[in-house]
Amino acid sequence: MAKEKPAPYERGIWVVYLLFLALPVAFFLVFYVYPVIDTVLTSFQRWNGLSPRRVDVGWRNYLALFDDGRFWNSLLNNVRWLVFYLFVPNAVGLGLALLLDRMTKGQSFFKIIYFLPYTIPPVAVAAIWRWLYEPNAGLLTSTLSAVGLGALAPNWLGDPAISTYSVMGAALWWSVGFSFIVYYAGLKNLPQECIEAARIDGANAWQAFWKVTFPLLWPSTAIALGMSSVDAMRLFDIVWAMTGGGPAYSSDVLATQMYDVAFGRLNMGEASAIAVCLLVAAAIVVMPFIVFMSRRVARGVE
Amino acid sequence: MSSRLSHIAVRSPRYAAAAVIALLFVVPILVALNTSLKTPAEIVDVFALPSAPQLENYRIAWAQIGRSFLNSAAITIPGVMFSVAIGAVAAFPLAQMKGRANRVIYFILLTGMLVPYQIVQIPLFSLMRQLGLYNTIPGMWLVHAAYGVPICTFFMRNFFASVPRSLFEAALLDGCGPARYFFSVLLPASTSGLSALAIIQSRAIWNDLLFAMTLTNSQDARPVTVELSALTSSLQIQYGPLMAATLLSIVPVVVAYLLFQKAFVRGMLGGSSK
Repeated sequence: MAKEKPAPYERGIWVVYLLFLALPVAFFLVFYVYPVIDTVLTSFQRWNGLSPRRVDVGWRNYLALFDDGRFWNSLLNNVRWLVFYLFVPNAVGLGLALLLDRMTKGQSFFKIIYFLPYTIPPVAVAAIWRWLYEPNAGLLTSTLSAVGLGALAPNWLGDPAISTYSVMGAALWWSVGFSFIVYYAGLKNLPQECIEAARIDGANAWQAFWKVTFPLLWPSTAIALGMSSVDAMRLFDIVWAMTGGGPAYSSDVLATQMYDVAFGRLNMGEASAIAVCLLVAAAIVVMPFIVFMSRRVARGVE
Repeated sequence: MSSRLSHIAVRSPRYAAAAVIALLFVVPILVALNTSLKTPAEIVDVFALPSAPQLENYRIAWAQIGRSFLNSAAITIPGVMFSVAIGAVAAFPLAQMKGRANRVIYFILLTGMLVPYQIVQIPLFSLMRQLGLYNTIPGMWLVHAAYGVPICTFFMRNFFASVPRSLFEAALLDGCGPARYFFSVLLPASTSGLSALAIIQSRAIWNDLLFAMTLTNSQDARPVTVELSALTSSLQIQYGPLMAATLLSIVPVVVAYLLFQKAFVRGMLGGSSK
C-alpha cells in the first residue's frame, strides 16, 4: 500500500485513540503486569505479607514445596480436575444439546432449566451440595437408605479417598450448562443439508453423527475444551466452600493450597511459589487454546 | 396417520428423557427450598414436606447475610457499569486495527482473560492496603473494573468489529470527530452488545468469591458470597438457615437470567466463542 497523505479527518485520530487507551492500559499494567512480576519476585523471598521486611531466600521456597506431599497432591488433583472437566461436562453437554436439537416443541423450556445452575454462584452450589452430601440425613444417603443400600453410602465429603470426586459431582451439576449451551448454539449453526445428504447416502444416525455432525462441530468442541482447561486450572470457589481442601488436604488444588498458605499461614514466599507453579501449569495447559483462538482471528473467522 | 404415530413414538422417549434430566437439574434447588421452609426437627427427613411451611429460617438467614447482600448489590451495580464502560472505550480504537497488531492484541486480551487470578492476589492485597482501598466498596469497584478490562474489551471489540466501517468513514467525512462518532453513533448502535456484556459481568461480579475474600474483612464491604462461604464451612452447620441464605443469594442472578435469558446466553457465547 503506497503511503498517501492522510486525509484531513485522519489528523489527530491517533491522539484520540491514545486517550481512549490510556486508562485501560494503565489498569492492565498496574493490575496484571506488576502483580505477576511481584509474585515471581516474592517467590524468592520470606515475607509475612504485612511487615516491611522481606528476606531473600533464593530457591528455598520452591525446594520446600517440591519436598511437600501436599503440593504434589494438589497438583495431582488439578490434573484429575482437568481430565474430568475435559471429558465429563462436555460429553454430557453434547448429549443434552443433541437431545434437544430435534425437538419441535419445548426446546426453550428445557434449555432454560439445563443452563440455570451455571448462572448461580459456585459458593451457593457448594452450600446446596454440602447438604445433599450430608452423611446422615442428606439426600444422597437418604435415597440410598430408602432403596435398602444405606450400608453403601460413603461419607461423601468426609472420606479423603473420595472427597475430590464428590466435589466433582457438584461441579458437574453446575458446569454442564456451559458446555450444553456451546454445543446447542453450534448445532443450530450446522448446515442441515450435510447431515441430510449423509442420511440419504445410507448412513445411519450413529454414522452420520460421527462422520458428519461431530467433525462439523469442531469449533464448539474447541471452545468447550479450552474453557474446561481454563476452569480446571483456576478452580477455587467450589472446593474452598465445600471442603476447604480437606479432609487432611485430600481435595486441595493448587489454588486452595496457595490461598491457605498465603492468607491462612501468612507465608507469602511459599504461596507465591505455588502461584508461580500454578501459572506455569496453566500456561502449559491453556496456551494451545489461546494460540488456536488468536490464529482463528488472524484467519478472519470471527 | 401412521407416519404421525411413528413420529410421536420417536419423539416421546426424547421428551421423557429430557424431562427426567430436567428433574435432576432442579432437584437440588427443590431440596434446598423444601429444607429452608422446615423446622429444625423436620429437617432430618429430607423427603418429607414441611408440616407448616415457616419463614423463620429466612429471618435468621437475613440477619446473617442481609448486610452482605446489600454490599453485593453496592459492589455489583457500579462494578458492572465501570467495567463495561472501560471495555467499550478500550475496544473502540482496537476494533480499527488490522493484521498483526490485531493478533497481538487478541493474544494479550485472551491471556488476561484466562490467567488464574490466584497469581495476583498477594501483590493485590498489599497494593489495595497501600491505596487505602482495602475493605472498601469503591476498592471492589476498582478491582472488578480492572480485572474486567480483558473480557470487556474482547467482547466489545468483537461487537464493534461487526459494525460496518463505512459508517465510521462517512461520519468522519461529515466532520464528526472519532470521539463524537464513538459517543453519539457507535454506542447508541451497540445497546444489544452492551446489555449482553452487562449481564455476564453482573453474574461474574455477583458470583465472585476470590477477590472479595482477599480484599474484604468486615461487614463494611464483605459481599454475600464470602458470608455464605463462611456459613458453609462453619463447624456446626444449621442447614435450614443455610439453605434459606443460599436461596436468597441466588435470587438476583436467577431473576436476571430468567428476565434477560437471550442476552445472557448471547453474552456467555460472545465472551468465549469469538
